Amino acid sequence: MTHTVGISNMQTTDRPNDVLVTYSLGSCIGLTLFDPVAGVGGMLHCMLPLSKIDKAKADHNPYMFTDTGVPAMLQAAFDMGAERRRLIAKVAGAASLLDEKGLFRIGERNYTVLRKILWKNNILIAAEDVGGTVARTMYLYMRTGQTVIRSCGKETEL
Amino acid sequence: MSRRERILTRLRSTPALPTPAIRVVQLIQDPQVDMRELTEAVRYDPSLTATVLRLANSPYFGTARSIDTVQEAVMRLGTNRLFRVLMASAVAPLAPLAVKGYDLEPGGLLEHAVAVAVAAERLAVSVGRRPPNYTFTAALLHDIGKIAMGSYVQIDAKPILDLAFRQNLPFEAAEREVLGIDHAEAGAVLLESWNLPPRLVEAVRCHHEPDKAEPDTLAVDLVHAADSLCLLAGIGSGVDGTHYRPAAAVLSRLRLGTKLGEMVVCEVATSLKDLTDLLTVGIGDELKCH
Repeated sequence: MTHTVGISNMQTTDRPNDVLVTYSLGSCIGLTLFDPVAGVGGMLHCMLPLSKIDKAKADHNPYMFTDTGVPAMLQAAFDMGAERRRLIAKVAGAASLLDEKGLFRIGERNYTVLRKILWKNNILIAAEDVGGTVARTMYLYMRTGQTVIRSCGKETEL
Repeated sequence: MSRRERILTRLRSTPALPTPAIRVVQLIQDPQVDMRELTEAVRYDPSLTATVLRLANSPYFGTARSIDTVQEAVMRLGTNRLFRVLMASAVAPLAPLAVKGYDLEPGGLLEHAVAVAVAAERLAVSVGRRPPNYTFTAALLHDIGKIAMGSYVQIDAKPILDLAFRQNLPFEAAEREVLGIDHAEAGAVLLESWNLPPRLVEAVRCHHEPDKAEPDTLAVDLVHAADSLCLLAGIGSGVDGTHYRPAAAVLSRLRLGTKLGEMVVCEVATSLKDLTDLLTVGIGDELKCH
């Protein structure tokens, strides 16, 4: 079954027939986690780097922000039986506007915060497709653990 | 005839674009319908808004001044006429739900349009400015050229994207090179042919190049800035992604930087789900068929 992960949302699964997908990642972060031994996977689509911009919204929905979304996702994966040392993390998104010259820097800061949190959790990024000015759609195929990115009409495996 | 002229001819003969207006139809069927609720439902649907405004501004109603909000149009048309207009729009053949060529998911354009409309108003409030009352409408209709171009012109995005990336051109400039016209101007031509007010048309025409707007108004700035933020946030993005250049002058006039930008994105994303749910009540089954 295909599950769509909306903006500011997260989904974990241990069903091999599932496909997780998130559409139109701009400056947002798309993160997939996969533990091939436990057969547990997850996908996060978080929008803004830091929850301090609106604490109440972060309490209501941690997946809106990278700094609260990633730890909540990790916990959800652990709760399903995933183990930290086996987790394969792949990242997409963090785009900017053309010649943005630091106007908003949402994508860039999203990526910095993400790296920091994964590093603190001893998780390396196995593959990534980040930055630039393209919108990306991200898929996680639970049967194989493959993460696939579609952008500009082309599909590539991460 | 050049490609540009062929596209222009096609655009000028395009009837108002229908989308499913199930929610509105549901409201109308209730004899006790609340006019305010009905106005709200129309206000959040780009295609219905365009239809209603086009009719309210048509010579048939002998307009002395131009009408650019749904509320005024509802008053001018009167309940009975409004109901007929809305019903007709609802049962008219469905516009393609996925916007061809631009690779927009079904519902993506509506989501983007609503997000930009909400963001433009929020942005105005946040910077302590009163938005001109047609800002919302202009924001809602800013990408209507994409529907028209996707429906009536065979858009192949590949040569446009190749050129844009090769020469570091914003997407709309590459569209002009390849097609002879970009989606912003196409939208403006369409709205112009429906006799919508010039300042509204101008805000649509210049939504990617606000510096070219004549006259340059607060609405132009707001639509451009709101669109930039929603593209960045990836709300209803297509094949063009974030390949657009933000106008530094506009952002500085609005004092729009990282913090305010993030606050607006945050609020828009929170209210967006409620709004799109309201607009798509009852059309879920039809969406699944496509």
